[in-house]
Amino acid sequence: MDLSHPDRRERLDALAAQYALGTLRGQARDRFTKAARSDPVVAAAAHAWETSLASLAEAVPAVAPPPRVWTGIAARLGLRGAGQAGLSWWQRLGFWRGFALASFAAALVLSLVQLMSPAVLPAESLVVVLAGPDARPALIATATRGDAMLTVKAVGDVRPAAGRAFELWALPEGGAPKSLGVLPPVGVAKVALPAPSGEALARVPALAVSLEPPGGSPTGQPTGPVLYTGKVERFY
Amino acid sequence: MAPAEPADRSARLAALLGRVALGDQRAFEALYGQTASHLYGVALRIVREPSLAEEILQEAYVSVWHHAGRYDAARSQPVTWLTSIVRNRCLDHLRRRDLDTVTLSAEEDDEPAFDVADEGLTPAELLLRGAEARSVRECVEGLEAGPRQAIALAFFQGLSHAELAAHMKEPLGTIKSWVRRGLDRLKRCLDSAGYQR
Repeated sequence: MDLSHPDRRERLDALAAQYALGTLRGQARDRFTKAARSDPVVAAAAHAWETSLASLAEAVPAVAPPPRVWTGIAARLGLRGAGQAGLSWWQRLGFWRGFALASFAAALVLSLVQLMSPAVLPAESLVVVLAGPDARPALIATATRGDAMLTVKAVGDVRPAAGRAFELWALPEGGAPKSLGVLPPVGVAKVALPAPSGEALARVPALAVSLEPPGGSPTGQPTGPVLYTGKVERFY
Repeated sequence: MAPAEPADRSARLAALLGRVALGDQRAFEALYGQTASHLYGVALRIVREPSLAEEILQEAYVSVWHHAGRYDAARSQPVTWLTSIVRNRCLDHLRRRDLDTVTLSAEEDDEPAFDVADEGLTPAELLLRGAEARSVRECVEGLEAGPRQAIALAFFQGLSHAELAAHMKEPLGTIKSWVRRGLDRLKRCLDSAGYQR
């Protein structure tokens, strides 16, 4: 059933209402959920109803769950125990495992760059190899310590999905991600920094790239999936 | 802790979700600390079984950890997004449970399970209490008693049409028509009041 067809609008709206209210059950609910995943018109109808009814849910009295609920979540996700809860997320194992591979790639890229031309890599520079979960380098960011400019190059044919954009983020120690700007879809990007890179990225151990709407994140925080991360390697 | 302005709270939760999408464990803990009680209350009211509500809460946060990147701040409030995840899981569990038990019939009378997690407020009272925005409250008050009660029970306690029929001792056809008419009326009223979020 094509729920997005204009003739079906009324039917769609009724189904979306039942879905949001919760009275749509069983296979009908499954079919609707499936349709909402593949069809933005269906998703929008469901979302409109969920939003309309959302303020009602706020009236439900809050009840503190027992502490074992959090312990269970942490155990399922392999998060660190309570004693280490204060650790920064930079110290999470999985995160660094990705970095270890990316750092290896960074060293490799760096030595290749050095072989090609000494002028390409001035003495005081920083390099970030941004890689996905598979640790394959996707983007390489370089900067000279004294320049307020970051050069970002795509490795191979890395580009955002149609109608979306890559946004580059600095991940400062203990702070929220900070946007460095939206990257052009292909080729080489020059990203202006607020200060010389040695200063602007002094307390930034890593960069990340997320997938965002064309103009960049509307909220100032990453809203789309984070595709690539990379540790800032300093050669000074 | 002083209650924050809703807009502040939404912005703060949206920022936390942004960090959770990046794998930030501390942000995840903070998000849990600020939302778990509300979501547990929602789950408890629908499934009416603390152990099941706990299980649902765990599943929901595990899902949030993996899929926080799907949260789109331009489309919904963080609490709405999180509540939808929990509500949908509750309904999935209810359905699984329904498959294991005898189908409810309209003849069944005593329903002792319904008064768990009540805390003195009936679903209909909750409906009015939730409708704090004036236009929403007016729209809810505009509903007739039957449809209002049916919508409240469905929304807050996860009752299906068949369960509503059993609980309210009305024919299934009447219940379906109450729910449909009630929702239509609510929507028209909300639309004309220019209610967006």
